[in-house]
Amino acid sequence: MLQHLLTPAALTASSLAIACAVLSVFVVLRRWSFIGEGISHSTFGGAGTAWLLALLFPALEQSNVPYVTLLVLLFSFGTAMVIGALTRRQRVHPDAAIGIFLVSSLAWGFLAQGIYFHVRHSVPAGWDAFLFGRIDDLSPQFAAAVAVLSGVVVCVVWVLWKELVYCAFDADMAETSGVRAGVIHYLLLGLLAMVVVLGVQIAGSVLIPALLILPGTIALLISRKLSRVFVVAILAGLAGALGGLLSHLRWNFLPIGPAIVLTLFVIFIVTWIVRRFSMPTT
Amino acid sequence: MPITIESPSLPSAREGRSMNRPGSILANGKMQVTCSKIGCMPPLVSIRSLDFAYGASPVLRNLDLTVEAGSTMGVIGPNGGGKTTLVKLLTGRLQPTKGSILIDGMRPLDAVRRGDRIGYLPQNPRVDANFPINVRQTITLGLAGKAGMLRGYDRSDLAYAQSLMERLGVAELADEPIGSLSGGQLQRVLIARALVAKPKLLVLDEPTTGIDVRGQKAFIEFIAAIKEELHLTVVFVSHDLRAVTSMSDRIACLNVSLHYHDVPQHLPADLVYRMFACDLEAAGIKSTAGPLTGPFLPLVGK
Repeated sequence: MLQHLLTPAALTASSLAIACAVLSVFVVLRRWSFIGEGISHSTFGGAGTAWLLALLFPALEQSNVPYVTLLVLLFSFGTAMVIGALTRRQRVHPDAAIGIFLVSSLAWGFLAQGIYFHVRHSVPAGWDAFLFGRIDDLSPQFAAAVAVLSGVVVCVVWVLWKELVYCAFDADMAETSGVRAGVIHYLLLGLLAMVVVLGVQIAGSVLIPALLILPGTIALLISRKLSRVFVVAILAGLAGALGGLLSHLRWNFLPIGPAIVLTLFVIFIVTWIVRRFSMPTT
Repeated sequence: MPITIESPSLPSAREGRSMNRPGSILANGKMQVTCSKIGCMPPLVSIRSLDFAYGASPVLRNLDLTVEAGSTMGVIGPNGGGKTTLVKLLTGRLQPTKGSILIDGMRPLDAVRRGDRIGYLPQNPRVDANFPINVRQTITLGLAGKAGMLRGYDRSDLAYAQSLMERLGVAELADEPIGSLSGGQLQRVLIARALVAKPKLLVLDEPTTGIDVRGQKAFIEFIAAIKEELHLTVVFVSHDLRAVTSMSDRIACLNVSLHYHDVPQHLPADLVYRMFACDLEAAGIKSTAGPLTGPFLPLVGK
């Protein structure tokens, strides 16, 4: 088992789990679960656009240009910033705005996939992996990149800890106290978009929101001390990621994304039951 | 809805007569204000020809107001009269449609971003009782703007936070979750948060709402003491006439425009009655025939 934990797959899953866990605390505290959903499903829009571009410019598919990843990144960031603008000023009801982007991106992605299938008589390369994630053939370079970017997420949260906490606690008062709440708002959304793009590779676009919700929820069931909440969220995220990875390696017909999410779900249920019947919050 | 205040017992601004008070003129427009009893201190807050409207609906019109450094300005007025809007303008959350506001020589937004110019106690603080934060953390968050991004809190500021907790009687609750506090305890914690950065201006929005009489007295005494210590200037917005008149060096009666801006002792009962008549009628209390005239309101305090 140890050798499995020292592979690029394990490093990638662990790094991603830590970054998602740290952000998930803010997602849950700020009640941004639906925002996470909206950003993750916007990756469909990016992927769909990439597939249509591949039909128009067939050379793209043969090139080494990571055009799918680039367009997914563009769509994720763009959606995150638009959602940020709408939720900050509340000109459009946030739930409605996110719902509109979510379903429209999904529709666009499936439409593009349908057009691609009609023209090429096959699903786009990586379609299944895009939906549910893939971890088997990740390169060490990709693992290192994920580790570095996850480290960036953790460093940003560490450095801007008081601003992020204040904005999550009371954004209006944070602004009145001199915190640049708008900057923090968009920065957090940008970090979410970046983590979503990374996470789509492993957990898939359908299930990546779970990694942004479950670790924080589990941690908040266990503790009411902020520093402990983050530690517990990270431990829960790691347990989910590594548990899912080991399940996939043991029974390789199990897709990695659902395996991770269901492991986290089991942890959540067990935590809830234990919390409900015995442990006080600490 | 704003009401127009007309009273045969009060001179109009156009007549240019004073109300037998040295130097003050009751007006719907510009107003000459005498030096208050604390002396002719330079104004910390200076509002000039201020208009504010939400779209086409005017909320504040032609407001001229100054708050001298070290003084307490009480702002009273009926619902919908613009008090909360004035608070939002002072704290930089809204920008004037016309005119200017300067706080310590800066626009409110610039003053807010300094992190140590304005302390604010909101009317209905939104506190998530389930948020995993304790009392000490809540109070020190008030230093976040002052400390700035990428920097930690200053040790002297943290020591001052501790001293504030002790003075407000919440030091023993320092490690308690914010959600476990009573209403009065939470109020004290939020006051500490508003003061921890040692601001120059303290804006209090209905601070005595929901507090019992004893608590109100303690609150007023605390604000008076901290005001002396920090050389604070205070803007106190409230419906509570008793609290406002007992704390304030000067009172502003606000109902879209400024209808009074002078010491509490000269506040005419007739004016107060008319200012709040629409609130009384909205509550189903029929107004008596004719305006009140004669003696001023018996005021508590100064």
